Amino acid sequence: MWVASFLLSAVMLLIVVMPLLPIYDPYGQDLSYGLMAPFEHDGDKFSILGTDFLGRDLLSRLALAGRVSLIIAVSAVFISLVIGVALGLVAGFFRGIAENLIMGFADLQLSIPRVLLLIAVTAVVGSSVLNLTILLGVTSWVSYGRVARAMAMSLREREFVLSAVTQGASPLWNMWKHLLPNVLPQMLIVGSFELGQVITLEASLSYLGLGVQPPLPSWGLMISEGQQYLAINPWMSIFPGLCIFMLVAGVQFLSQRFTKEGDQDLKMATRWSKKPA
Amino acid sequence: MMADVILSVRDLTVEFQTPDGPKRAVDNISFDVHEHEVFGVVGESGSGKSVTMLAVMGLLPQGQARIAGGEVKFRGKSLLDLDTEGLRAIRGKHLSMIFQDPMTSLNPVIKIGSQIAEAIGLHQKGLSRSAIRDRAVELLGSVGVPNPGRRFDQYPHEFSGGMRQRAMIAMAIANDPSILIADEPTTALDVTIQAQVMEVLASVRERTGAAMILITHDLGLVAETADRVAVMYGGRVAELAGVDEIFAEPRHPYTVGLLASLPRLDASSSEQLYSIPGQPPGLRGRPSGCVFNPRCGLKRGRERCETEVPALREVAPAHAAACHFSEEVGDWVREVAAAKREAAL
Repeated sequence: MWVASFLLSAVMLLIVVMPLLPIYDPYGQDLSYGLMAPFEHDGDKFSILGTDFLGRDLLSRLALAGRVSLIIAVSAVFISLVIGVALGLVAGFFRGIAENLIMGFADLQLSIPRVLLLIAVTAVVGSSVLNLTILLGVTSWVSYGRVARAMAMSLREREFVLSAVTQGASPLWNMWKHLLPNVLPQMLIVGSFELGQVITLEASLSYLGLGVQPPLPSWGLMISEGQQYLAINPWMSIFPGLCIFMLVAGVQFLSQRFTKEGDQDLKMATRWSKKPA
Repeated sequence: MMADVILSVRDLTVEFQTPDGPKRAVDNISFDVHEHEVFGVVGESGSGKSVTMLAVMGLLPQGQARIAGGEVKFRGKSLLDLDTEGLRAIRGKHLSMIFQDPMTSLNPVIKIGSQIAEAIGLHQKGLSRSAIRDRAVELLGSVGVPNPGRRFDQYPHEFSGGMRQRAMIAMAIANDPSILIADEPTTALDVTIQAQVMEVLASVRERTGAAMILITHDLGLVAETADRVAVMYGGRVAELAGVDEIFAEPRHPYTVGLLASLPRLDASSSEQLYSIPGQPPGLRGRPSGCVFNPRCGLKRGRERCETEVPALREVAPAHAAACHFSEEVGDWVREVAAAKREAAL
């Protein structure tokens, strides 16, 4: 927990607080000060983390890139959560043909490597931040869908669902009022787990030139830009790499913690449901 | 003077699909529920009492069970012909159910108040949020939940068992239904709470005038609350009569056995509690003829019991029993009692 909070607060400091401080413009080029090392003085110019090949300040760009990456990742997770929960609940609640169709489609999608699929689709529709977000969201619903379906299958047999039916509730009403609140906590756990994966995926796609397009920075894109200068100024790639690591590792640790707490909650819940209060 | 019939079940037959072909869980049962009365349905597990109620509500598990015949009429309108939309409009509004276990019938992650509000919102569309809330708080108060305004915002785990069952009752009466189906409403509660919950049900019925179908295996509960009783055995109605008649003068050997197996305060402690010999029949291997014949003390080797299904027939005014030899039951009971007295001497 301490590790996660440390890593995440470091990243948040960079992303949220840094832009409020007087730092260089992330787009400001100055070719005469290109490829400076961290803490290097070059006349009047001083840059904490150095500059890239166009003389743009790395710190400012890392901060901006972090916001771009995080916005994309969080929106993508949101999109996939909505799709996954909706499809999963429908599959688990109705069973039958709906379930076969939805889960068959999920298996089909899982059988195609995600990166390959994303490359193929971006090649057709073109790459922009919006496209990337939607694509990442649409292609990662399966894990939510499966968990939601499994939970819906057990929840639909619970007596409170039957009780609502005797009150005149329709299936849609039951899914919205009774299943959704029960699956949501677990979905957030899955979401926290997926967030790390989506960030990595976004970085990989941007690295491949299919994600965020320059001059807008993204951590993946920055690694890729630094690649050519790896021998002269490796910091251009090391810092964004470090940022990705810190964010993903932080999110993963946090999600593990959530999973544990979720289990604890579950144990508590079954304990009090067995014994009358 | 009988009030109008509100729910009428005629020759209802429910079949379950099993690997050995369809089996009848409920076989040709008929009964009427009158306006404002408490109709008790008694029987052991597997006698078909819950399945009957599920069939009435149109809630039989699809693909596993089906209604093979008969009809169910609510105020003269057939329920079995209704489509899902029509059933939904009836459920909760006219026919409402209270379940056995309030621990599992309440959604653990939703506030009690919201669950009651849900029941209101389902049938009274167009009511404003605050009006629904007021109504829900009023309902909670009316079932004897103290401090309903605060309790409205609590979760089921903050309620005790009795309070939860009260909340369930509040949900069930949210739309003033004309029939409450209470499926073993007090089985999961301890005895003092049972009495309180039954009191709440009685006061609620007094206020709304709803009829109640009380499904239970607790004969004491039936004796206290019901007006008329149907005793079910093996998917059939064995006996159907007013509660006083059935307890004073049972006309079916099974009812006699049931009453004899009740522990009595005046019995000596050395006396062993009576139990009906044998096991209740499962879905498979129902005996031919009268379902009760292998366990019946009145059979005395008579062949008719094994070959002919006894019809539910009137054996006394407003007293029906499904036994070929119902007229002998009275003498038989006295005979057995006399023999027992002799043995004790």
